[in-house]
Amino acid sequence: MKSHSDAQQVNAFVDGEMDLASQLEMEERMRQDAGLREQVEGLRQLQETIREGADYHEAPAELRKRVATLTPSKPTARSHRADMAVAIQRWLGWRPTVASFGLMAVLAVSLNLAWLRSSQDDRLLDDVVASHVRSTLGQHLVDVASSDHHTVKPWLSSKLDFSPPVNDLQIPDSVFLGGRVDYLDGRPVAALVYRQGAHVVNSFVWPSAGKDSKPSFSAERGFQTAHWSQAGMNHWVISDVNVEEFKAVVRAVQLAEGER
Amino acid sequence: MSDDENWRRFELLALPHVDAAYNLARWLTHNDQDAQDVVQEAVVRAMRYMGSFRGDNARAWLLQIVRHACFSWLKENRPAERLALDDSDESLQDIAAPATDEPHSVAMRKADRLQINQAIAALPAAYREVLVLRELEDLSYNDIARIADIPVGTVMSRLARARTLMRDALTPVARPVLRTVPRSTQAGRTT
Repeated sequence: MKSHSDAQQVNAFVDGEMDLASQLEMEERMRQDAGLREQVEGLRQLQETIREGADYHEAPAELRKRVATLTPSKPTARSHRADMAVAIQRWLGWRPTVASFGLMAVLAVSLNLAWLRSSQDDRLLDDVVASHVRSTLGQHLVDVASSDHHTVKPWLSSKLDFSPPVNDLQIPDSVFLGGRVDYLDGRPVAALVYRQGAHVVNSFVWPSAGKDSKPSFSAERGFQTAHWSQAGMNHWVISDVNVEEFKAVVRAVQLAEGER
Repeated sequence: MSDDENWRRFELLALPHVDAAYNLARWLTHNDQDAQDVVQEAVVRAMRYMGSFRGDNARAWLLQIVRHACFSWLKENRPAERLALDDSDESLQDIAAPATDEPHSVAMRKADRLQINQAIAALPAAYREVLVLRELEDLSYNDIARIADIPVGTVMSRLARARTLMRDALTPVARPVLRTVPRSTQAGRTT
């Protein structure tokens, strides 16, 4: 039984290199054969002794330095001067590459963030347009119809967890129609409704976590929109008036809030 | 693939295994300075071959090159030792293995560090190589076969033999006792 291949089997067993069938067979044999058990145990002890006792030679610092100064262009450079030149060359050669990788990573992240942000804004823009269209199509333009902002503001405050700025707009042809509670950006918001000539203007307001920002204008499906943050409030204004009038409306909303 | 790219891949994949490279070279050449030279030579070769590296198991790949560089070095500097590496397993067993392959059942006493290191260093290079790769690098039989460029069966026979030699070297007291007891289980075996 004690052939060369048998000894190899015991070794393979100890090394965990047996296939499952052979391993099960070996375990079965070990149950019946005390000598085999002792062989396995002896080998395990030997293995443990070697692993614990033998020196593992880690690369000395000198070797690491030598390896580090090797370059693909001058792999056999041995002299110190050549090594220095090579090291400098490598330094110069690699810094820009590393830097450009870093820059690319930063760019990629910021582009992603910008993309994420803009896609959020896009979704919000869609919601604003949809809300505006709904309000003009249906009967539900305002919840509280009043040209008196002293009536509208308490009403909105009672329906919302914040107190929106409610003001008349100090521009010609502007009529304050009232307010309603709408739903945007995953939360209830205040919608202030104005008539600008023949056009309806919806001005949405809700608390902002971000910093103040300047109005950002865009045209979407024939509607003029602008959004900005001011005094801790997000503002989205939308209307189908022409661009010049719309800008005047936005300025008026900004001004009215500024005076508050 | 450009040299720069090769170097970058090398830095990323192979350089972390410079310890393993040095450890193998150190055990095969027996001394620090030679091991360093061999590893440096191997690194130069490895960078040259980086383009052909497919990306699986960088450590085995690097060790294969280191092992080859050790070979070349031994050929030049230690022709006697290289003989042992090139010899067939049969003749190796004749030269270096008077003991049986059967693991002794005697519990081995804890050997001290010096004794263990000396025992490994005294192994013929072909055995030392597989033992170091198995016990110190914890590599699989397949990886060892690839690195040493031998079939898995040869890895198994060399490893079994290497362990037998190690056990014999580390249990000097137990050996004569076993050999002089005529009715022990070894009695019937010729060696």
